[in-house]
Amino acid sequence: MSGPGQPIHDVSLLLSGANQHLACGADVDELLEQAADGYASQFTSHQRDCPYCQAALREFGQVWEPVRRLAAERVPVPAALTTAVVSQIRKLVTDIWYTLQLSDGGVIRVAARVVARIAREAARDVAGVRVAFGRSTHSRAAGLVERATLRHRHPNAAVGVLGRTAVIDLAIAVQYGDQADEVAREVQRRAVAELRSQVGLRDVTVNVNVDDVIT
Amino acid sequence: MGSDVDDAYLVRRAQEGYVDAYSDLVDRHGPLAYRVALRLLGNHQDAEDIAQEALVTAWQQLPGFRADSSFPTWLYQIVTRRALNRITRSRITQSMDLLGDISDASAGPGQQAERNLTVDAVTDAVIALPPPQRVAIVLRHFEGLPLAEIADITGSTVPAVRSHLFRGRRTLSKTLAEWR
Repeated sequence: MSGPGQPIHDVSLLLSGANQHLACGADVDELLEQAADGYASQFTSHQRDCPYCQAALREFGQVWEPVRRLAAERVPVPAALTTAVVSQIRKLVTDIWYTLQLSDGGVIRVAARVVARIAREAARDVAGVRVAFGRSTHSRAAGLVERATLRHRHPNAAVGVLGRTAVIDLAIAVQYGDQADEVAREVQRRAVAELRSQVGLRDVTVNVNVDDVIT
Repeated sequence: MGSDVDDAYLVRRAQEGYVDAYSDLVDRHGPLAYRVALRLLGNHQDAEDIAQEALVTAWQQLPGFRADSSFPTWLYQIVTRRALNRITRSRITQSMDLLGDISDASAGPGQQAERNLTVDAVTDAVIALPPPQRVAIVLRHFEGLPLAEIADITGSTVPAVRSHLFRGRRTLSKTLAEWR
């Protein structure tokens, strides 16, 4: 504890090992916390009349000012962060493919995630849809069967090729007040139309799940 | 569009395999992961690596994520653990440049130089703290989190966090007072 007399104006002395309390009895760490939290000039009733506390808070406030300024600044984030993360995740997700053309002339395939993306974008354009996400739901077992069959028929065709039947799930949240079933039907219609026109998938099943209503 | 819904909705969709929902979560909280990693590690390259690792790990562990804590709290936990692993594997000596190449166009060269000195002084002082104090200081005074949440993130208790903060603040204050 510091002795009676003049308030201390030296931060190192205020924080030296032996100093847990000021001459007035105030806890040094609590004053430091108050200043670090940005309340150095908001005095309690005791602090309003205490020169020891006021001197300590002033010093601590000055020392912490650069920290608080820095903490308040925006940290620029690398623009490619999301892209890099999603790209890594795509590699972790078992990617499946739909075959559009299979002949001796070669194979044309489209990734299920591309199909899901197109369906999602189509859904987002429908009035009343606030949020939409798309995923492909081709089952793993069906995939293995398709792959095995394909390898048998076309030994040199690439791995991971599935059928020509696309099954897409769309999860949508609709605007409160809109008729959810009508919105869902329109989403279904547009997604199927887009997949037919954009990638030529003729046999498409689009399941629409309305799972939230947003006001 | 994803901003219309809360984190819990996006987490549920991501758990069901909607990768785009997770992409929206990364857009929303990726900056948090990068910022904390940068403040704990002190350089952009390590921060970017750790932020990416943490966000991919979060995706992998998403099936086990329960809604008893918020997604950001959970992400803080993953980033902090990964950053601490990195700190213990290699002692970081570089100066922490929190502000990258962004400069304040309104400040003159003299002010800018002085500001950079201040940034270096504060960041060097933070980096010099022992890891537990550094984590507590960054989460409390840079991220503005309450003690209970810091305890949750670090798997500690509120009194222990408080103790790390007391010690960290004293050390930081003495270092910065010498620099003044």
